[in-house]
Amino acid sequence: MSMGTEKVLPVLAISVLLIGSFSALFVHANQVTVEKDIITINNQKYFIQELFESVDVKTIELEEGKKTGLALDKLIIFSNVECPSCHKYSITAEDSYQKTFNWEDMKKGILTEYKRTYFKDKAHAFWIYDVVEIKVI
Amino acid sequence: MRDKKRLVAGILIFGSLWGFSEVIIGSTLSDLGMPSGALMTGFFALFFLVLSRLTFRQPGMQIGMGLVAGTLRMFNPLMGCHLCSAIAIMAEAMIFEIIWRYLSFDFEKHRNLTAHVSFGIFAVYFLYVSGYIITQILTPIVDGTGFYLQNLIAILPKIFSRGLLPAFIGGALTPAIVRLSKIDLTIKDRIYYPTTLGTSAFCWIVVIGSWLSVGG
Repeated sequence: MSMGTEKVLPVLAISVLLIGSFSALFVHANQVTVEKDIITINNQKYFIQELFESVDVKTIELEEGKKTGLALDKLIIFSNVECPSCHKYSITAEDSYQKTFNWEDMKKGILTEYKRTYFKDKAHAFWIYDVVEIKVI
Repeated sequence: MRDKKRLVAGILIFGSLWGFSEVIIGSTLSDLGMPSGALMTGFFALFFLVLSRLTFRQPGMQIGMGLVAGTLRMFNPLMGCHLCSAIAIMAEAMIFEIIWRYLSFDFEKHRNLTAHVSFGIFAVYFLYVSGYIITQILTPIVDGTGFYLQNLIAILPKIFSRGLLPAFIGGALTPAIVRLSKIDLTIKDRIYYPTTLGTSAFCWIVVIGSWLSVGG
């Protein structure tokens, strides 16, 4: 390890810690504060309970066990999206985590009463917790 | 020739232990709702990568370990995109090689605690963030859903902030690994090879056995 490296290392370490800290502040500051039981779908706000009374519920079996929730495709149809198969759907979480899905994917997914999405035969990266919005693209 | 055989055995055992810990311990931590990615990179990846590098002092060895660990990760009995996780591990190994090479790092020449802690913080942060980004890019591509740049951009601050925990772990752990590497563990060949091969075989048998038990 040269003297140069020895001097550079603390600078690099402090730099990444600053990047991490400012990012944490940014995430915290931009965290969407929404009412617990409300979700926005296609620019309309809904109460989760209201949706559970109106939209088909289905159970999917995952490697981690069975999960029950609102069928995402039925949810989209319920929210009056014209030609659902013509669009893509961006699902966003409270902390800005988001994923985009096509119609075929939506048919495999559910939204639970705890506002979590699960998809059959999809990686954990597609599971979104604390969903605040489903946007039609 | 003898050194090469020892190196290959070293790659096999360190890679197998890394892969084993990712699959068995990583999955358990994830099931318990703990930040498994941060803990796996901060503790296990760093431990195996640094210790193997200090022990064998062989550039390229960690890429071999990444290949072994990544291959073992493909047999994960749980989790979703096995290929993506496997590629992320291989990428972490490659990134570690690059960091070590460009920092010309040699713990022997300097016993400066600040340098050790700084290396741990920087290396683990970089490994974690890179692995996270690579997984976020590859998973939707391999899955067939398609990669959307705006999804990645939206979560970049979250990825950068999540790198803090593994960075702190890396900073605290690196001096301990350096101390550990100085313990003379010279093992005779007649014990070394059966031990390394036996331990590696154990890791593979447990992981593949778990994978088969949940239906492959």
